[in-house]
Amino acid sequence: MNSNQNIKSSLTLADPKLIDDCQLPMNPAIPATQYITNLLNDVSGKQPLIGKGKNNELYIPLGEEEFLKIMPVLSQKGFVLISLFCVQSFEGSSGFTLFYFFRRSGFTEVFAFIRHAKAKTTSIATIFPSACWYEREIRDGFGVEFTDAFDKRRLFLHEAYPEGFHPLLKSFKNGKIQAVENPREAYPFKQVDGEGVYQIPVGPVHAGIIEPGHFRFSVIGEPIFNLEIRLFYKHRGIEKLAEGKTPSACVPIAEAISGDETVANTVAFCTAVEKIAGIEIPARANHLRTILLEMERIYSHMGDLSGMITDIGFPRMTTPFLILRENIFRQNELLTGSRFMKDNIDIGGIKKDISGETLSKLSLYLETFAPKFESAVADVRASSSLIDRFSTTGVLKRDSLLHLILQVPLPERLELLMISGLTTHTESIEPSLRKERSGLQEMSFPALKLRLQKFRTQLSLYENS
Amino acid sequence: MVNPLTYVFRRKVTEKFDFSDAELEALGSELKAEVNQVFGSSLAIRELDSGSDNSTEIEISNLGTPYYDVERFGISFVASPRHADVLLVTGAVTLNMAEAVIKTYEAMPSPKFVIAVGNDACDGGIYKGSYAVLGGVDKILPVDIKIPGNPPTPKEILRGIFALVKKASK
Repeated sequence: MNSNQNIKSSLTLADPKLIDDCQLPMNPAIPATQYITNLLNDVSGKQPLIGKGKNNELYIPLGEEEFLKIMPVLSQKGFVLISLFCVQSFEGSSGFTLFYFFRRSGFTEVFAFIRHAKAKTTSIATIFPSACWYEREIRDGFGVEFTDAFDKRRLFLHEAYPEGFHPLLKSFKNGKIQAVENPREAYPFKQVDGEGVYQIPVGPVHAGIIEPGHFRFSVIGEPIFNLEIRLFYKHRGIEKLAEGKTPSACVPIAEAISGDETVANTVAFCTAVEKIAGIEIPARANHLRTILLEMERIYSHMGDLSGMITDIGFPRMTTPFLILRENIFRQNELLTGSRFMKDNIDIGGIKKDISGETLSKLSLYLETFAPKFESAVADVRASSSLIDRFSTTGVLKRDSLLHLILQVPLPERLELLMISGLTTHTESIEPSLRKERSGLQEMSFPALKLRLQKFRTQLSLYENS
Repeated sequence: MVNPLTYVFRRKVTEKFDFSDAELEALGSELKAEVNQVFGSSLAIRELDSGSDNSTEIEISNLGTPYYDVERFGISFVASPRHADVLLVTGAVTLNMAEAVIKTYEAMPSPKFVIAVGNDACDGGIYKGSYAVLGGVDKILPVDIKIPGNPPTPKEILRGIFALVKKASK
């Protein structure tokens, strides 16, 4: 782990000035294809063969030499790595194909750079630190070594898995494996040395009714100097489970990824299949999906709000949000027969239609939701001890944002984060959001209110039709 | 000086809550009577997620919300397994969690009971056959009661807890 110590100084980040410039929208007159062609031509003198995907994504295959040349340039130009994944024997090719997905402000397109790799390749985590986990994930899954990576620890395969086991290789047929008994090697957490520094391990089983995770706090007295989080205790092999199955058989698997994202994950999966297969779904199914997605979002918001208030130790304020959350669960049940809206979304649309009558009942309920929500929010605002505890908690520094390319789910979560002081430094999020900046005294929930507004509009459309 | 009687006769601070579920109340009072008798008035539960899809945890934590408020019935969710009578396990046990599940169980004082909540905890559910899970909780712990469902509702979970208390009294 020694190599881990100077990561920050060794990062080849672009000049901050450049990044700032890049956050300003580019001249939209230049199409993305043209932009990336010019860029590659400047860097390597070659013309790429750009393919267009069905969902506004550009596929740019690169030779190894061009790939290595273009990565630092992408960083300088303000590209953000949003995903990285590996496919074995993609379209009949040998070895592994790595897909590097980028976004850049000013373009609506997603840029996918395609790189071929054998058992060993190089890391881009010193240029894009957010690649670190993706690369560790690929190493675990496929056994591809990123030879110069600064962090080569295993990620989702913990000590119980034998070394050299790579579940996503096509050669591995899913089934029971022999787990390592009494593993010798412990996970090497980052060590922080110095006078008065000590570590507090928390988890994977911890106090609340909550999913497992391990937190390793390095503290100096009261202040937390470093926090390292280890996750994936719940690795259930979902990707492998889906391998070789028909798309319809994968729908329940997508649904089982996460209970409170049932609709979101299933709609995402079905939309992907529909795009690939060129399936048009009926307008009504699309509207109903939107309603279910919004219901899921609303109860999640209620859960987040009460969770944040619980976390600062003021449970009395959480009850109105918890009541509203339970009400939404009950509405979900009326709409779909399931409190989590399970078994409703399918490829091509939706499994069961929801009657106009049920929808108007929902509309009636929402009329009562908004005032109760507003009154709960007013109570939160009026509590000085609550505001006092939030205002200095969880401040996110601009520095961390740039290094980790942290993504804030925008704009809906922004207002919620604002309570916790997470976005006290709003200027670091995105220039377009600066105008939404507001002090704690002025905090409000316009995003959620807007959602409710849209939601009601949509419902009234049904009533009229 | 304040007259102490004013505290007795003043208006209640609790908000009016226009919700009542006769079935839940009946189940609750029966449960409370049993808990009083079998567990000396309080049943301490430690929840443990061994690899669920989190909807089961959400329903379990809903038991503490104003609609259910199961603390009224003598049930409390405790932070440490050392304080627990019952281990409420959700999820098909993953390889990554197996050790923690066993350690948690071992940390509990006897007599102790295990309830498996949700289809995946009962027999592995949808994750059955994956390299990453062992299957149901009964693969590594002695399970007393199974509460199936994807996920079971809060009331179903409460019924399961009631069944356990009944079983424990025998």
